Amino acid sequence: MTSAQPQGSRLQGRTAIVTGAGQGVGEGIARRLASEGANVVIAARRAETGDPIAASITAVGGRAACVVTDVTDRTSMANCVATTIEMYGSLEIMVHNAFAGARAHRLEEARIDGTFDDDWTAMSRTSVWGSLYSAQAAFEHLRTAGNRGRLILLTSPSGIEGSANIPLYSPAKAAQRAIAKSLAREWGEYGITVNCIAPVAASPALIRVFKEVDGLQAATAARTPLGRVGDITSDIGSVALFLASDDSSYVTGQTIVCDGGSFLGL
Amino acid sequence: MSNSGRVIRPRFDPVARPFHEITDEQFDAAFERPLQDTIAELQDAYRSGVKRMVVVVPTTAMSGGNRYAHTAAAAEAIRVLVKSAARQWGASGVTVNAIAVDPASVLDDVHVAGPVSIAPRALGSADPRALIEFLCSEAAGDVTGQTFNVDGGQLM
Repeated sequence: MTSAQPQGSRLQGRTAIVTGAGQGVGEGIARRLASEGANVVIAARRAETGDPIAASITAVGGRAACVVTDVTDRTSMANCVATTIEMYGSLEIMVHNAFAGARAHRLEEARIDGTFDDDWTAMSRTSVWGSLYSAQAAFEHLRTAGNRGRLILLTSPSGIEGSANIPLYSPAKAAQRAIAKSLAREWGEYGITVNCIAPVAASPALIRVFKEVDGLQAATAARTPLGRVGDITSDIGSVALFLASDDSSYVTGQTIVCDGGSFLGL
Repeated sequence: MSNSGRVIRPRFDPVARPFHEITDEQFDAAFERPLQDTIAELQDAYRSGVKRMVVVVPTTAMSGGNRYAHTAAAAEAIRVLVKSAARQWGASGVTVNAIAVDPASVLDDVHVAGPVSIAPRALGSADPRALIEFLCSEAAGDVTGQTFNVDGGQLM
């Protein structure tokens, strides 16, 4: 499934911001939420990637707009939320997916005992600080939304089990899980739920890594019981839809690993 | 304890803070600093030829904590960094493990943070020294990347 053609109304009247929705998993989530009636803000760093996604959603009857956003900048994230409220009047769902970094998937380039300052800064600023800024910017509106308020953070199976090849990607993603658990406790009194998705999906980033690292795609397929890599919209977007909808009203502080069963150690 | 063992005790922010009010300076001190300091300590241990590394975190890493998201983020990042280090350095005969201790020994206000479990603790005491001694010994050479909760049986 790649279109955002309206299929249902589970999110009718609700507004979602999806960061990093100019491509990959964020794009898939944005399309799936829009297909169920949500107003969707494509929070992308570049209009060149975000505008076409928003246009393709509106072209099939959905409601979407791109707001150029840098999740590593507190003011930019706050402006994104303010613009969203101006356009749609409310914010019920914040999905923080944006991520940059983790270029090194070759062990010799990713030694913990080596140097990695630039990579770490990119990963930390987008994943962890982006979680801080997106949560803070959305908080008052999610509290107003009450039991329809949702914060969803995109983490990774590597954030649970660690990784030799991307050793610092793992702690960045682990931090997001701890933030989700903590905010589930902290914001529960307002009815807001906070959860994580740990996907493995055919995003441009993963496809690029498959091309760069010999044997990785075959190894990934071999350890995946379902024998395929997830689709950004039908597989990952549908999990986000569940977490964004009333169907998940009693689920909070959890991580849903959505990877075809390759990681079973949660 | 073997001379080749090192125990790393990151300094975590003990202060409860509502997440929506945390400033950049507070988050940098609570998240980036403990993590960066731990990375530096692990690097130093590895370069110094240390074969047994143990990192101490609160169980808040795994349970989360009301008004302690900043501290939990640092603790869980460090706990999973331990796994990455264990995977990467295992071929060199280096083991890296984590011990998760009672949050009361780290956080100023555990009552605000909330319970780590739906059940009360099983034991009255929780002293990690004997386990640390084992994990730093030659006998623990096949144990790596693990988290051991020494919290009197709060988190199971």
